[in-house]
Amino acid sequence: MSADEKPAGRRTEHVVGKVNDFPEGTHTVVRVGRREIGIFNIRGEFYGLPNICTHQTGPLCEGKKTGGTLVAREEDDWKPEWAYEGEIMACPWHGLEYHVPTGQCLAFPEIRLRCYQVVVEDGEVKILL
Amino acid sequence: MTQAVTRPAGRKERLEDLLVVDCDVHVHESPGELAPYCDMPWRKALENVADVQEYYLDIPGFSPGMTWYEARFPTAHEGRRMVHTPEQMRRELDDLHVDIGVLFPDHLLKIAVITQDDYAAALARAYNAWLLDKWCSPSHKLLGCVLACPQDPEDAAREIRKYAREPGVVGVYLPCAGLEPLWGHRRYDPIFAAAQECDLPVLLHSVTVVHPVFPFNLQGFETEFGRHICGHTFAIMANVVHMMTTGVPVRFPDLRVVLTEVGISWVPFLMNKMDKEYLERRREVPILQERPSYYMKKFYYATQPIEEPEDLSQVVTMMKLFDGEDRIVFASDWPHHDFDHPSKVHQIPFDPGVRRKVFGENALRLFKIDAQGRRLNL
Repeated sequence: MSADEKPAGRRTEHVVGKVNDFPEGTHTVVRVGRREIGIFNIRGEFYGLPNICTHQTGPLCEGKKTGGTLVAREEDDWKPEWAYEGEIMACPWHGLEYHVPTGQCLAFPEIRLRCYQVVVEDGEVKILL
Repeated sequence: MTQAVTRPAGRKERLEDLLVVDCDVHVHESPGELAPYCDMPWRKALENVADVQEYYLDIPGFSPGMTWYEARFPTAHEGRRMVHTPEQMRRELDDLHVDIGVLFPDHLLKIAVITQDDYAAALARAYNAWLLDKWCSPSHKLLGCVLACPQDPEDAAREIRKYAREPGVVGVYLPCAGLEPLWGHRRYDPIFAAAQECDLPVLLHSVTVVHPVFPFNLQGFETEFGRHICGHTFAIMANVVHMMTTGVPVRFPDLRVVLTEVGISWVPFLMNKMDKEYLERRREVPILQERPSYYMKKFYYATQPIEEPEDLSQVVTMMKLFDGEDRIVFASDWPHHDFDHPSKVHQIPFDPGVRRKVFGENALRLFKIDAQGRRLNL
């Protein structure tokens, strides 16, 4: 739980749309109060990230489509491999990449975005703040 | 040479009282010197040029292509100094207040431009054998680097392993002048693997050549002023970028890397340029697990040619820009035309502890030696 999250019991639900508004493999930016939040439906799981890049405040979640990316691992002799298909958002401004399910920035290990909790209840998509 | 003596000033230690490890001094190897150490048939070729009149670092079939291109006017600048024996080197380093010297070649700075791979490998083997036989001497506090022949990485790796346990060997010299492909290319992996395995640092060193490979296509410059600036600085930057591109510091995490004869002001520049590109292009270098500056801060940087701004405190600022106080090592480049007397580095307003690190302590850690030049990793 990040520092600015309230305890579960005191968080407020914000309905941001019908589940049909968020088809699998797409994402949409919604506004909740002063916040802009990207809602991602990745293989039926919902995730929420702030629509602001840590780099130069670019509209992170307005990138056209999530995709995969290249990683290299020691166990595979550091050969490049395609990974995280459908789970990577790159900021449209400069390409800084984030892993949507965890908020982890791929370039900088110390950067992890706040992940908003997104739930689906009674056909409605809600963000807990 | 006249001995320069510094005066005690407050708490500042005198140069002659500091431990000074000099990470870059040059021996003079000639074809005639190397011939007895060289395999046939290449020995025959060395004997054939043994009596060629030598101008400076330019012998046909040995160190081609560094004649001066521009008008030469008379000068008292002794631009062609050479050191022919360990005794001469010891005497001259004593005059410089240098305690321990790390040896590099003269002519074979240009070995990478030799077009016959087998000949280049034979030259490297001859140089290494000659250096061990004639020069490397812990008692003289003269310590050598194994020349790694880029044209034959497998043979270079054998040479590194062959000499790795010698008390007089403390590093591996990677030639950079006219090199193609750049260090970092996977064909050179055996060299990095051997150096890491043998616990020896690799030291990159360039020299000016005009050669049709990046970044040595320097024919556009009218004078040595331009060629010399670019020949060293761009060469090292290009090699560091390429080593980062292929993840050398990730794939060889225990390898110690030293950049020589480029000063230090380029370090913050390149670090910031690479970090900026990395942000956008991480997926092109997915092997990097951290930003490039993270790895660059682990490399070592030799001082010569140390920057000489009017306000020398700017050198301290440059050092701080890359957290360099544990990574900067003194080098004079003796006896070359652009050598730095340690008194210049001594004038830089370092804190006393940092000054001791730069002059000696960092190099002891880098080479894993004690203040007497004895290896601690044998």
